[in-house]
Amino acid sequence: MSEDELDPVIHAPARLRIMVTLATLPEGDNLSFSRLQDLIGLTPGNLITHLRKLEDAEYVTTVKSGRGVTARTAVSLTSAGRAALDRYSAVVRELLGSVSPESRA
Amino acid sequence: MNDDADSGNRTGMDIHEAAAIMQDTTERARRALIVRRPVVFAVWGVAWLVADGAIWLSVRGQHPYIGPTPASLVALTIVAAAAAAITAVLVGRAGSGVGGWTVLQRRIFLLSYLGGYIALFTLEAAIDHAGASRAVLGVYGAAAPILLVALVIAASSALNLDWSVFGLGIWLLAVAAGSGFAGPVGVWAVSALAGGAALLLMAASGLRRRSRE
Repeated sequence: MSEDELDPVIHAPARLRIMVTLATLPEGDNLSFSRLQDLIGLTPGNLITHLRKLEDAEYVTTVKSGRGVTARTAVSLTSAGRAALDRYSAVVRELLGSVSPESRA
Repeated sequence: MNDDADSGNRTGMDIHEAAAIMQDTTERARRALIVRRPVVFAVWGVAWLVADGAIWLSVRGQHPYIGPTPASLVALTIVAAAAAAITAVLVGRAGSGVGGWTVLQRRIFLLSYLGGYIALFTLEAAIDHAGASRAVLGVYGAAAPILLVALVIAASSALNLDWSVFGLGIWLLAVAAGSGFAGPVGVWAVSALAGGAALLLMAASGLRRRSRE
């Protein structure tokens, strides 16, 4: 197994943080854009850019509701996104297991 | 470092960094988004112990049984309101920005409690109206709320298949059913000790489990 098997959509620090944060919630739950931004610590522009990439891969969905002061953008992980993160985690664990102390030295 | 790196879009991340990000982000997200149940159990355990303990102190030695003093009922109300306020803050902080099923589940949980308490007090009025003695009303007033809490807790364990919460619900059912035999005075002491202590044990066990993780 090599690092080439790591999903390139997820394999970027900000997108990995977004995916892991959303995966903490149970299925059926969503997180507001502003709370996600607080937790990840990205600027709104950067967060939008990363969410678009994840949306294009169908790993997350964003739903806008309300208007004006009640406007809310809800971000949630899709089933495909959850499965992709599970696969990504499994590959990372596998690669970490195969990196022995000798080979790192 | 360029703009892309600043935005967290680097692709040259190695697997150790990826693993560290996953672990750190998971811990941070759990701390921020998940309600600290051991703290909630501890708050209600102390409230239960203090409130029912205060009522027991006010009724012990009554011959014949008259009922809790107004001061002890005020103490119960203040303690319950404080516990509810702390719970609301904990749930509000964790739930800020969270939408979906969990929010609906919490509302159903809250409505079940509110509906249950309205039903309990209505039934108590009906029992009083039917001519029940002060002693019967005393046993009912202490044991019936435990029965309600026990049923809601046991049923709510099905949401996460949490066997320790289910066990707590079953224990509280036994406390509700058995405490009445202690009479209108003893029922408050049994409730305070067996109910409050059970919640505190759940809190301690939850904290121990968390510290091991």
